[in-house]
Amino acid sequence: MSLQEPTYTFESLPLRGVETGTNILVTGPALGGVRELTMRMLLRRHSREGTLFIAADVDGRETLADYEALGGDLDFARVGVVDCTENGADDGECNVHAVGSPADLTGAGIEFSSLYERIHANGATRVRTGVYTLSPFVVYAPAKSVFRFVHTLTGRIRTADGLGVCAIDPDAVDDQTLSSIAQAFDGQVELREVDGQRAIRVRGLSDQPEGWQPVDFDAA
Amino acid sequence: MRELTVLCVDADGDERAATCDSLAADGEVAVTTADSVAAAADTLSRAAVDCVVTDYDLPDGTGLDVAARIRETAPDTPCILFTDAPPDRIDTADREGVVVEYLPRDMPEARDALARMVGNLVDQRTQVGYPLPTREDERLAALEQYDRPGMEAAESFDRLTALAREYFDVDVAFVGLIDAHEERFLACAGASWETLTREDSMCTHTILRDDLMVVEDTHDDDRFADNDRLDELGIRAYAGVPLETPRGATIGAFCLTHDEPRGFEADELADLRRFAAEAMDQLELRRQLNECEDARDAADHAGTGTGDDGGDAP
Repeated sequence: MSLQEPTYTFESLPLRGVETGTNILVTGPALGGVRELTMRMLLRRHSREGTLFIAADVDGRETLADYEALGGDLDFARVGVVDCTENGADDGECNVHAVGSPADLTGAGIEFSSLYERIHANGATRVRTGVYTLSPFVVYAPAKSVFRFVHTLTGRIRTADGLGVCAIDPDAVDDQTLSSIAQAFDGQVELREVDGQRAIRVRGLSDQPEGWQPVDFDAA
Repeated sequence: MRELTVLCVDADGDERAATCDSLAADGEVAVTTADSVAAAADTLSRAAVDCVVTDYDLPDGTGLDVAARIRETAPDTPCILFTDAPPDRIDTADREGVVVEYLPRDMPEARDALARMVGNLVDQRTQVGYPLPTREDERLAALEQYDRPGMEAAESFDRLTALAREYFDVDVAFVGLIDAHEERFLACAGASWETLTREDSMCTHTILRDDLMVVEDTHDDDRFADNDRLDELGIRAYAGVPLETPRGATIGAFCLTHDEPRGFEADELADLRRFAAEAMDQLELRRQLNECEDARDAADHAGTGTGDDGGDAP
């Protein structure tokens, strides 16, 4: 595999690679596997990729533990977390940076920018950024600030040739808000579960499989 | 490319000069400077800027105080904290919603990165507090053809909105055009609104849609529940139809608002669409008239240019 692939690729998911600078909104019910899906999309494919989490639903340590359990390589020079949960704590060893509240979008934005620069400076030419999930921001912060934050995040990812994967629970926000937030993204990946079978569908991204594609996280 | 104006706020004269020099290096950026929150506020009250670059530590406050100031006056303006202060030392209390970019000044080639960031943030409108339509640039180009001086004076829009207000028995009926940073009211029956920033305007959401937007109770909608400006204006219920040009660009909306929650019946909404269609026809006719006048002026000009009549040559 070349170290300078023009795209971000996804292993063991029915998703083709996407161009650098792409921002994807991942939607699905919180208990339906959207967390695993988001994590898998953030798996580093080679050592010169970095991964940056913005954790709002679960704290930084748990995020990293789950990532490692799914096969994520914890190289803390190139992997880090902005922890936006209420009880988040700094952890220098694990590159976790606490903000203190999902309502503090200024703090989250500053920690994100700072961590992104450092991961980049540590040799990650490509950085995958994951937000799990946007829902607490929508619930705790004013809508204007959420839009400003989402634009800031996706704008930086776009100009820095990164990949953005932001999860949101559609049951936690109203449809109008969801569709307004979706405006900031290049495309969407929807996850659903019917009769015990999980499937994903891609919208808005070119060159992707059409219709619902079964996914099986346990077997992967 | 048009010249950008950047406000650079830094108390340290040498750092400030170095930042100004690097921003102005390519000749497309004009820089104004300030050395404190108060001086920055003073500059912002006198002139518009396209971007703010500020240190965190200032003699009378912080860079986030400057950011908070610009969020009040010109909220779309991108703001960059360009500072040696590490994130841990930045106090975001009472500033949780301003959202700025952050660039450490001590990283290698920081000032080159800063100049690029200023251009990107302004071009991509990265810090706006509302969703942007997918083809916003085309939309703004289309708006320019319709939005001509004197449009506010057109009485037909006053008549239409006055009729709509009576007909639907609502507080306010208006025609609004949405430009790059604010909604401007061509006519507004029942209130004297002139402009509203886009992040406060409900129509900024209406123009994302193919069809009308109805909000029966703003307090019950995540997009508007925490928007204090709407409460100040007495907007609790809203129905708006996008004004779409024949070429498919949405330039504004025809809207009704009410100070109490209320629903709108299907036949009312059908009638509201008719009002909107009438307003759009008026706008289209005026655009065509302007186009004809421009063409005639150009022809006249070409005429004088040949020296044939010399009638209105200066």
